[in-house]
Amino acid sequence: MNIRRLKDNISSRLMLAATVFACLLFFSMLIGLYIRARPILSLVPISDLLFSSVWGPSDGKFGFLPFIMGTLWVTGLATIIAVPISLLSSIYLSEYAGNSLRNAVKPLIDLLAGIPSVVYGLWGVLAVVPFIKNTLAPALGVETIGGYGVLAGGIVLSIMVFPIIISVTGEVLRSVTQDMREVSLSLGATKRQTIKHVVLRKARPGIFAAIVLGFSRAFGETMAVLMVVGNVPKVPASVFDPAYPLPALIANTFGEMMSIPLYDSAILLAALMLLIVVLIFNILARMVLIKIEKGVI
Amino acid sequence: MSEIHIEIDNVNAYYNGNHALKNISVKIQKKQITAIIGPSGCGKSTLLKCMNRLIDLTDGVTYSGKILIDNEDIFARKTDIVNIRKKMGLLAQKPIPLPMSIYENIAYGPKIHGTKKKSDLDAIVEKYLKLVGLWEEVKGRLNSPASQLSLGQQQRLCLARGLAVEPEIILCDEPTSALDPVSSQHIEQQLLKLKKDYTIVIVTHNIHQAMRLADYVIHLYLGELVEHGLANEVFENPKEERTRAYINGIFSPDLKIDSEENLKGKMCPYNFVYAKQALHNLEDGKILKIIVDDPLAVTEVPRGMEADGHKVLIVKQINKKDWEIVIQK
Repeated sequence: MNIRRLKDNISSRLMLAATVFACLLFFSMLIGLYIRARPILSLVPISDLLFSSVWGPSDGKFGFLPFIMGTLWVTGLATIIAVPISLLSSIYLSEYAGNSLRNAVKPLIDLLAGIPSVVYGLWGVLAVVPFIKNTLAPALGVETIGGYGVLAGGIVLSIMVFPIIISVTGEVLRSVTQDMREVSLSLGATKRQTIKHVVLRKARPGIFAAIVLGFSRAFGETMAVLMVVGNVPKVPASVFDPAYPLPALIANTFGEMMSIPLYDSAILLAALMLLIVVLIFNILARMVLIKIEKGVI
Repeated sequence: MSEIHIEIDNVNAYYNGNHALKNISVKIQKKQITAIIGPSGCGKSTLLKCMNRLIDLTDGVTYSGKILIDNEDIFARKTDIVNIRKKMGLLAQKPIPLPMSIYENIAYGPKIHGTKKKSDLDAIVEKYLKLVGLWEEVKGRLNSPASQLSLGQQQRLCLARGLAVEPEIILCDEPTSALDPVSSQHIEQQLLKLKKDYTIVIVTHNIHQAMRLADYVIHLYLGELVEHGLANEVFENPKEERTRAYINGIFSPDLKIDSEENLKGKMCPYNFVYAKQALHNLEDGKILKIIVDDPLAVTEVPRGMEADGHKVLIVKQINKKDWEIVIQK
């Protein structure tokens, strides 16, 4: 009897320890990054770090604005491209397509999610960048740096985000019960009205979650973006300009040029910023989700 | 007699090759309640779904024949099914509120059919909530989610929502099977009231409900139409042996009553308590007959008795106020 209780006790404690460990990891990362970033934070005012666009580490100038803006541009563009296309295709797949088409397409989309990001990057360099350089930019009469820039990054990233949004949205749409559709149809609604007013409304929180999931992947994605955005530390003025997102900065420079004072601290600060931004996104998403759940669904 | 509203002509339906409805031909009277009865899996719901063609949504279904509503064949290719469905309100097995507020649930139908003005919508919402007796209960919280209502209230909301598109026919698919006795009674009373303006078709496996409500009865068995006709004729003197057997599963006309208890004037739950006491004094298998006049007892006592493991053999209205319930211990 006692041994059984002892086992019960031990196993519950073990599980508690594992949970605490997992949670602590996040905070230890946060604290570790903060400690390493402190030297630069104590020397350069935070407003300079965030809002100055001068990046000259050898002169001791560390303005992160180009990187922050680069991240926002690329992620924003990717989301703008990905959301409508992936929403429409997942609505088509779950509401209109027959079973056989759905069963054929689903594994294909899952496969898309499993492709390593470096392959996407290569595809971007070999297909997207030349297309922008040779076809799109001349047609629109704009100058590009060999096709590299925000647009190439946004396109590559949006394709990486598709499978996430499509598959999560698809699951959510299929979780709306058939009864609900029948009710709407029995009231004389057309299929389009039913989808718009009932199915999408019921699925709204889930679709929102799908978009946020896609967005967070886009935000932190490093390899593929780094290969096609041009990596010029300047605030982009249009989608044809090159950009230098935060993850690319970290991946490109950490471990090199460490002889420059404060460089190492600046890169760790960039990592800290990325972590905090993703955290803020998640908190915002949760808050909206909670709000939607409390509201009329 | 009265007019024919729905004419079902030689309808066959197949689910993945399984013959679910076999040559069904029957006429449904206007402004009457027609109950479709029969055991589970006999095709009751399938027949109902054919009438508004929601059967189209089921994968692997094929059907043939004709269903004429106001002389328009709803199976015909050129028929605009969206307009046909507008003529038919649907009350499903369990209440399914749309994911919106109470107000929007009622306003949804009129809105998609083109009513835009807020004042018109307000009037519609009030009218139909009053019609189903829900207005007083919800008028202060029209904008709260419909899912916050109790199940019984939700089912009345669903009824009001169906009525708000001004249908001519109400199709009910076991509309009280998920509800408690009081809410079930509420819905039944609404249906009886609505009969004067609407043609009602109700699928039910509850034969007592069919007896309480129906003017006409259609008995289906394994996809075949066994018998149909006026409710009291079918129930009292079925022409078909299978109908007799189905009804007798619940009705045993030549029962030997071992004990009788008159519980008129006793309210719920006292009538139930007295009935239980009377049963307690009997041996297993003996039969008790009780007479009640509390309308609540008609559904509540049989339910309670079945929950206690006794067998309810008969629930029958014997005159205007009184009901007879026969229970086997």
